[in-house]
Amino acid sequence: MTPNHRCDAIVVGAGPAGVAAAITMAKGGLKVCLIERGRLPGAKNLFGGVLYPHALAEVIPDYAERHPPFERPVTEQGYWLLSPDSVVRIMHKSVHYKTAPTGAYTALRARFDAWFAEQAVQAGVLLITKTTVTEVVRDARGRALGVATDRPEGLVQAPILVIAEGVNNLLTQSLGLAKGDLPPRYVALSVKEVLALPAAEIEARFGLAGADEGVAIDIFGDATLGLPGTAFIYTDAKAISIGVGLLLEELIVHNLKPYEILARFKAHPVVRPYLAGATVLEYGAHLIPEQGYDRMPDLVGDGVLIAGDAAAMVDAVHREGSNLAMTAGRMAGETALEAHRRGDFSAAFLRAYRTKLEESFVLKDLKQYRRMTDFLDSTPHVIGTYVDFMNEAALRYFTAQGMPKREMEGEILGLLRGRRSFFGIAHDMMKLLRGLRG
Amino acid sequence: MTKRQRQPEPLDPKLKESLPQVNLDALIGAVRYEVDEDFAHLWIKDHEVCQGCPAKPCLAFCPAGVYHLDRAGQVMVSYQACLECGSCRVGCPFHNIGWALPRGGYGVAYKLG
Ligand SMILES: Cc1cc2nc3c(=O)[nH]c(=O)nc-3n(C[C@H](O)[C@H](O)[C@H](O)COP(=O)(O)OP(=O)(O)OC[C@H]3O[C@@H](n4cnc5c(N)ncnc54)[C@H](O)[C@@H]3O)c2cc1C
Ligand code: SF4
Ligand code: SF4
Repeated sequence: MTPNHRCDAIVVGAGPAGVAAAITMAKGGLKVCLIERGRLPGAKNLFGGVLYPHALAEVIPDYAERHPPFERPVTEQGYWLLSPDSVVRIMHKSVHYKTAPTGAYTALRARFDAWFAEQAVQAGVLLITKTTVTEVVRDARGRALGVATDRPEGLVQAPILVIAEGVNNLLTQSLGLAKGDLPPRYVALSVKEVLALPAAEIEARFGLAGADEGVAIDIFGDATLGLPGTAFIYTDAKAISIGVGLLLEELIVHNLKPYEILARFKAHPVVRPYLAGATVLEYGAHLIPEQGYDRMPDLVGDGVLIAGDAAAMVDAVHREGSNLAMTAGRMAGETALEAHRRGDFSAAFLRAYRTKLEESFVLKDLKQYRRMTDFLDSTPHVIGTYVDFMNEAALRYFTAQGMPKREMEGEILGLLRGRRSFFGIAHDMMKLLRGLRG
Repeated sequence: MTKRQRQPEPLDPKLKESLPQVNLDALIGAVRYEVDEDFAHLWIKDHEVCQGCPAKPCLAFCPAGVYHLDRAGQVMVSYQACLECGSCRVGCPFHNIGWALPRGGYGVAYKLG
């Protein structure tokens, strides 16, 4: 990198948001510098995870011909409601997942992000890795002029900046766009292991016909000790991705070690057989911003656009984030192109970015689920209580014990009433419905 | 911002007892790092604040076990094992942890992620 490098646009962070922004702007003819602190794009990034190619197709229409490193198409997905000794499974498997264009793939981020950034390089983006942006440089009136990096004389200048720095949004905070740091009750800490297992073994254990089938399971209840959070099991090509995530506040309040919760989950009698003989290829941890629509940072400043996790664009209800990030990155890129055409980089003009997001699923979904975090936060017992109830109810339902069915139904209702008062149940349901309907 | 109403109910002690011991060193051994010997990107701002922190939650929630006590009961920071998740930055109740990004190219380097 030459000292005082100059370009038309700077992108900080080569995750899904940043790369999508960079490609969009490069295709529109801008000279783009994409700066990433990792030794390679993806080296810092980890997710469950499931990628949704609808967002990718909007950035790279012919992505399929470019052989993205997907692991498996998701042909079966759903939920496990786990009690300490049982599980109720709500899984959906359909041939539609195989006949229609694939809607979801499992992926590993170090591989995927490296591939995605390579597409940006092919589109003409200047990718600068191993470089940490330390500061946004601004003029006396607060307009962004460029960024300072930890490279010697590493100043890069551009009239517009897309900040896609992820959940640890130090730059966004330094610009005053995020009001302070995330409180621990609005952020989930996930730990994950990637476990090696031969493809044939994965297919036998999960009932998959071959490499063109895969499963994505989200697990509630005992996996997180009944505390607000989820666990996941996703099949990769030759590995299983497994992890647990809890609100950081729960870990703090109960003095819990996240990797112990994961180890306990792995040893659960329902889970263990799937993992037998699998060895740990990698371990990792990452935060998920779950503060929701009402506590998102401002998305624009003078000469600045914020995209992805840096602006808390995560739909925790559907474990979507990478697609929101890609879509927001693309829209930030489109807005930067318009700003260049108009020669106007003011926050007032850049507000068009927020309008685009409001018209898309990104802010529509976030708005719809705006109450979900508070729902879980104020009703922390719900998950454990109802998951355990479902398992006990299923046990009664499926056990023939010479009891008239009407009595059995009464017993099942009694099980629920024993755990929670009628008003408690009604209250929980009301809040859940409000949380889901927005 | 809605204020948290509830006092946390204590976790059933049986649940806590059901948590297995984990060989964290083996897990960390499966992670690739580019260790920066010249720059510690994490530090305790004031050790006296830690003395007055009764719960010391950083010792537990850090997924890499970066924080531990030395013989004198002082909080030690093994920044080399840090996974850069950010939990300690927001999770220390006294905001007593100095947290910077590692220098470019250094720190955790996932091969899979
Ligand atoms: C456990 C877990 C499971 C998840 N599961 C799913 C899932 O199944 N499906 C889904 O769609 N989403 C999932 N998500 C969410 C998804 O991973 C994120 O929403 C998405 O990665 C956000 O993309 P981003 O580009 O905004 O940020 P990131 O992917 O975090 O990228 C930010 C980039 O910026 C770089 N960077 C940061 N600061 C600087 C700096 N100062 N200088 C230079 N570079 C910098 C980082 O190194 C990084 O490469 C999951 C997340 C987690 C943690
Ligand atoms: S949580 Fe913060 S104040 Fe408490 S011991 Fe850890 S670093 Fe010190
Ligand atoms: S950033 Fe995460 S891994 Fe690193 S020390 Fe803090 S809590 Fe531990």
